[in-house]
Amino acid sequence: MALVFIRTAVIFITLLAVMRIMGKSQIGEMQPFEFVITLLIAELACIPMADSSIPLLYGIVAIIAIFILHQTVWLLDLWFMPLKTVICGKPSLVITRDGVDGYQLRKNNLDVSDLIESMRTAGYFNLDDVYYGLFEANGVFSALPKEQLTHTLPVLLIDNGKADRKNLKIAGIDEKYLQEFIAKQKTKLKNVLVMTVDSDGRVYFQQKGKPYKILRAEVKGQW
Amino acid sequence: MVKAIISTLAALAVSIGFFIWTNGYLYKQFDEFHGALETLYDKIDDETATREDAYSVKKMWESKKRKLHILIPHNDISYLDYWLSEACGLIYNSRYDLALGKVEVLLRITESLPDAYSLKLENVF
Repeated sequence: MALVFIRTAVIFITLLAVMRIMGKSQIGEMQPFEFVITLLIAELACIPMADSSIPLLYGIVAIIAIFILHQTVWLLDLWFMPLKTVICGKPSLVITRDGVDGYQLRKNNLDVSDLIESMRTAGYFNLDDVYYGLFEANGVFSALPKEQLTHTLPVLLIDNGKADRKNLKIAGIDEKYLQEFIAKQKTKLKNVLVMTVDSDGRVYFQQKGKPYKILRAEVKGQW
Repeated sequence: MVKAIISTLAALAVSIGFFIWTNGYLYKQFDEFHGALETLYDKIDDETATREDAYSVKKMWESKKRKLHILIPHNDISYLDYWLSEACGLIYNSRYDLALGKVEVLLRITESLPDAYSLKLENVF
């Protein structure tokens, strides 16, 4: 029986470490350790029920082990702040007054399209609609919005140095025009962190490691 | 907070107590059965084992396995059942040379089975 307990603890710690390494894009609205517990409890309850060759007590002991580990993690979380960061993670500031923080996005295994998707879910359609944007430890996107929001739907043309051909077509922008546009900003495609354009031709343009700029471009597409 | 600490410590204490008891219980049950098998082995070796000797060992195992079903996987119990039935069948027919090998296997299983459930590094991984 002690063996079941230890094996459960080993799986718990392994899963928790994996979930923490995987970052915020994988966990939805739960804390990492809560997510691990949800995964384990479902399996632990099912296996002894489904397999009659395994005594039911094995499932019960494993679930009690999960309870003890949950309570322990929760108490450590309350008592030791440094451990709270290790176990639950900390919020990541991904949008500042200078624009998108590429380093923070990479750290959380996210890209600009994931960020834009999270922003849309939170009700913001342009990257410059917020002063600050952050992913909480439980993966939820929070933002400090600007007083005036834009009321257009931008498309992502460049995501971390790569042009999105499908969106270029939607915006009615050809690659030659895009290259010229980038050259005018005295940079190269690979150095552009993000570029979006809306139907009014309003461009959000940000180079890696530099603040964003709002520019104008000719768009022929309708969306 | 206090309630959470108490419930966690209580669950931990009950679990540890249960682990210690289970470990001791398994070793005790298998030691007793192993002792009975050793006696049977000696009798088979002397060719003095009778139908009653085999039956009493089988009966002892039947009473033990009812409780063991709660604590160890049922497949392991079926495995022991299989070898014991074979050994008893051979003793009933006085095939001592063949029965000796079967009981030898049973002795080995009863020796190693409790170890498979004890808290050892090789069992954890």
